Amino acid sequence: MSPEEKKNTEQNKIEYDPITNEPLVQGESYDGIKELDNDMPTWYKWLFYLTIVFAVIYLVRIFIFKAPDLIQADEYAAEMTKFKNSATEKKAASFVVKLQTSPAALAKGNEIWHQICAACHRPDGGGLVGPNMTDKYWIHGNTVQDLYNVVTNGVIQKGMLSYKNQLSNQDRLDVVSYVLLKLQGTHPKNPKAPQGKLYK
Amino acid sequence: MKLEKFTYDNQLSKLFMFATVFWGTIGMLVGLTIAFELIFPGLNGGISWLTFSRIRPIHTNAVIFAFVGNGIFTAVYYSSPRLLKTPMFSKVLGKIHFWGWQLIILAGAITLPLGLTQSKEYAELIWPIDIAVVVIWVIFGINFFGTLAKRRMKHIYVALWFFIATWITVAVLYIVNNLQLPTSLLHSYPIYAGVQDALVQWWYGHNAVAFFLTTPYLGLMYYFVPKAANRPIYSYRLSIIHFWSLIFIYIWAGPHHLLYSALPDWVQALSVAFSIMLLAPSWGGMLNGLLTLRGAWDRVRKDPVLKMFVVGVTAYGMATFEGPMLALKSVNSMSHFTDWTIGHVHVGTLGWNGMMTFGMIYWLVPRLFQTKLFSTKLANIHFWISTLGLLFFVIPLYFAGFTQSLMWKQFTATGQLAYPNFLETVTQIMPMYYLRAFGGSLYFIGMIMFVVNVWKTAAIGSFKRYENDEAPALEKTFKDDPVTGLKWGWHHRLEGKVVKFSVFALIAILIGSLFEMIPMFLIKSNVPTIAAVKPYTPLELQGRDIYVSNGCYTCHSQMIRPFRSETERYGEYTKAGETVYDFPFQYGSKRTGPDLAREGVKTLPNYKPDAWHYNHMMDPQKINAQSIMPPYPWMATKKIDLSSTPSKIRAMMTLGVPYPEGYDKIANKDLKVQAHKIAENLRSSGIKVNDDAEIIALIAYLQRLGTDIYKHK
Repeated sequence: MSPEEKKNTEQNKIEYDPITNEPLVQGESYDGIKELDNDMPTWYKWLFYLTIVFAVIYLVRIFIFKAPDLIQADEYAAEMTKFKNSATEKKAASFVVKLQTSPAALAKGNEIWHQICAACHRPDGGGLVGPNMTDKYWIHGNTVQDLYNVVTNGVIQKGMLSYKNQLSNQDRLDVVSYVLLKLQGTHPKNPKAPQGKLYK
Repeated sequence: MKLEKFTYDNQLSKLFMFATVFWGTIGMLVGLTIAFELIFPGLNGGISWLTFSRIRPIHTNAVIFAFVGNGIFTAVYYSSPRLLKTPMFSKVLGKIHFWGWQLIILAGAITLPLGLTQSKEYAELIWPIDIAVVVIWVIFGINFFGTLAKRRMKHIYVALWFFIATWITVAVLYIVNNLQLPTSLLHSYPIYAGVQDALVQWWYGHNAVAFFLTTPYLGLMYYFVPKAANRPIYSYRLSIIHFWSLIFIYIWAGPHHLLYSALPDWVQALSVAFSIMLLAPSWGGMLNGLLTLRGAWDRVRKDPVLKMFVVGVTAYGMATFEGPMLALKSVNSMSHFTDWTIGHVHVGTLGWNGMMTFGMIYWLVPRLFQTKLFSTKLANIHFWISTLGLLFFVIPLYFAGFTQSLMWKQFTATGQLAYPNFLETVTQIMPMYYLRAFGGSLYFIGMIMFVVNVWKTAAIGSFKRYENDEAPALEKTFKDDPVTGLKWGWHHRLEGKVVKFSVFALIAILIGSLFEMIPMFLIKSNVPTIAAVKPYTPLELQGRDIYVSNGCYTCHSQMIRPFRSETERYGEYTKAGETVYDFPFQYGSKRTGPDLAREGVKTLPNYKPDAWHYNHMMDPQKINAQSIMPPYPWMATKKIDLSSTPSKIRAMMTLGVPYPEGYDKIANKDLKVQAHKIAENLRSSGIKVNDDAEIIALIAYLQRLGTDIYKHK
C-alpha cells in the first residue's frame, strides 16, 4: 500500500461527530463519553501566552530590577514622602496656633464641642469624666498652645484621647478657641469640682 | 474477545448523595444564621455556641467538607466504576469511608461551637479529628486507587485525572498544614509560627479551594455534563493542557492571600505572577464544559440539569477571572479584608459548587430510583430562585467591599482620615448586609425545594442497587497502539499508566510548594528578628488561646498593611519579626471590626483602657449603639483553665519559645500576679470580676498586642 493510500484508509477510519462534523478521538469511549480532537481556540492560546509574558515581565522586574513599586517597604516610603511633600503637609508646617476670634471659627468650635467633647466634659462644659472647662483651674496649663497640645496629643493616662487623626489642626484650634472664649467664665449648674492649678 | 460480566453497587453513591443533600441544608442554614447575626448582633442571645465567631467555621467547614465533600464522593463512587468498567475495589472500605466521613463532620459540628478550634481557616478541626480525616482519606485512597488498579479500560478518562490530582494534593496539603503539637486531648499549637504559619495556612487554604472545590468538581463536570447532554467533550487537547497547567500553577498562588502582609516580597510576587497565569488553565475547564454543550443548547432551555450546569460552569469562569484580578496587588489593596472577598468566594461556592451539585443530583436521582424526577417544574423554579439568590448575595457584597475600602482609605483635604471611626464604615454598608441576607434566604428556599424534589423522587421510585455491565478483560501487558490520527499520542499512552500519571501529578504540585516554603523556613532573612519582641506572659498566652478559641479572627485582623491610610489609623505596619511567637498566626482575612494588631499601644488613637474592654465585651451595643459585634458575657464567669498552663508553656518551649528552664512550674504564679493587677484595676472602676475570669486573660492579651516594638519609642 502506498503512503497515499494508507493515509486515505486512515482517514476513512476516523469517526466524526454527526452534529458538528468534527473528528472524534478514535478508540475507546468512556462509559459512552467520546472526546473531540479539536484544537484549542486561537484566542485561548493567546490568552495563555499573554499571561505568561505578563508573569515573566513581573518576575523579572522584581527579582532582577528590584522595581520599587513591587517592593512594599519602598512603596510605603514613597507614599509617605509624597505626603510629606504635599501642599497639605507644607501648609500644616506653617500653621500658627493663635486664638481664633471670627464667628465662623467659633461656630465650628461650638459644633465640634457638642459632637465630640461634650460626651466627657458635658455640653455646658461643666465637666463629667473630663474636667470642668468653665472655671479658672487648669491641669495642663491655660494658654491656647497648652490646650491645643492636649487636644492634639491627648493625656492617655487620664483617658483624654488624641484627636490628631480625627480633627484637622484648624478644627482643633477652633474648638480650643471656643473653650477659651465661650465656655470660660460661664456658670453651669452642678459643675465638677476644680482640678489642677488656679490661673488668674 | 471474551466479555466479562460484573455488577455496580449503587448503595454508596446513594448514601453519599443523601449526605450531600442533608449536610448542604445544614451548612447553608448555618450560613444564613450568621448572615442574620451580622444584622442583629444580639441574635446569639449571649450564648457562646451560637455566636458568629464560633459558628462561622461550622458554616465554612460544613459547606466545604460536608456538602461539597459528600458531593465529590457521590461523583467518584458513581462515575469511577463506570469509567473503569469494574465495581469499586472494596465495599467494606467504602462503608468505612462513608460512615467515617459523616462522623468526622458530626465531631466538627460539636467541637467547633464549643470553641475547640485551631483557628486556621478551613483547618479549624482539632487534632484528634484531623487524624481521623487523614485515616479516612487514606481509606478512600485505597478504595479509589484499588479500583483504578483492577480496571478493564486501558486508559483513564479526564474525570479520573482530576480525581487522582485531588486525592494526592489534598493528602499533602492536609497533613502539612495540620502538623501540630498537642497540649491536651482537645488543644494543640501548630508547629509553625507567625508569617511561616501564615504561608503554610494560605498555601493550604487557597489550595483547599483549588483541590477540594475545583479539581474534583471539574472531574464531576467531565463525567456528568457529557452524560446529561449526550455530547462529546469539546477538546481532548484542551483537557490535557488545562489539567496539567491547572494543577502545576494553582499550588503557587496561595500567598496571594497575604499580599501587603509581613510576608516577604519575593513570595508575594511569585503568587501574583502565577495567579495571573492561572486564568487560562481555569478557563480551559469552563470552555470544555460550555463547548461540550454545542448541539444541545435547545435542550438547555428545558432541562433543569443542563441549566444548572450552564450557570455552574459560567460561575466558575467568572470566579476564576476575578481570582487573578484580585491577586493583582493594586486590586488586592482595595479588596482585601472587605466583603468583596466574601462575594467572590460565593460566586464559586453558590454558583459553581452549588449548581454543579444540584445538576448532578437532578440527573442522578431519577436514575438511581428508576423513575422520572418528581417535578421538573419545581427544579426549574429552584434554578431561577438560586440564580437570583446568587445575584442578590454577591452584588451587594461587591458594593459593600468597594464602599468600605474607599472609606478606609479616604483622607480629608487637611490630611486626616475622613472616617477615623471604623464603625462609621460598617454602618454605611449595613443595607448591603440586609440584601445579602435576602439573597441567602432565596438560595436557601431553593435548597428546600431541592430537598423536597430529591426526597419525593426517591419515595415514588424504587432504588436500583445493582446494575450489570460487561467488558473485555484488560490484558496484563498490553501494547499501546497509537491512536489513528491523534495529535498527542504520548499523553494518551501516559493515560494507560496510572502510577506514572500519579507520580507526575505529585511532582507537579510539589514544585511550587517546595519552591515557596523551603526558603521561608531555611533562610533567616525572610523573618528578620526584632530584639524587643518577647514571648507572651502566661496570662497573655491563656488570653491568646481564648481569643483563638472564640474565633475573634473571623472579624478582626492583626495585620496592619504598609499604607498611610492604615498606619494613620492603626499605627506602624506589622513586621514579620513581631509575630514569631504567634502559634498560630492571627493575621485574619476579614475586617468586620477594626484591626487589632496594635490594640495595646497606649499612644495610638485606638487605645482603650481595661474597663472599656470589659464593658465592651459584655455588651458592645452599650458602648456603640450601632456596633454589630455580638456580646461575650460568658467570659466574665468562665474560669481560665489554670491546669493547662504548664503543658502549654512546655509545648511553647518545645517549639522554640525562649521561656527560662523550668518556667512551666512557676508560670501560674506569674499568671495570678498579673491577673490580680488587672482585676484590681477593673474593680477600682466599679466592675465586679474575679481574678480568674477568662476576660482578665483576654484583656491582658489585648493590652499586649503590638506593644513590643513601641516600647523604645
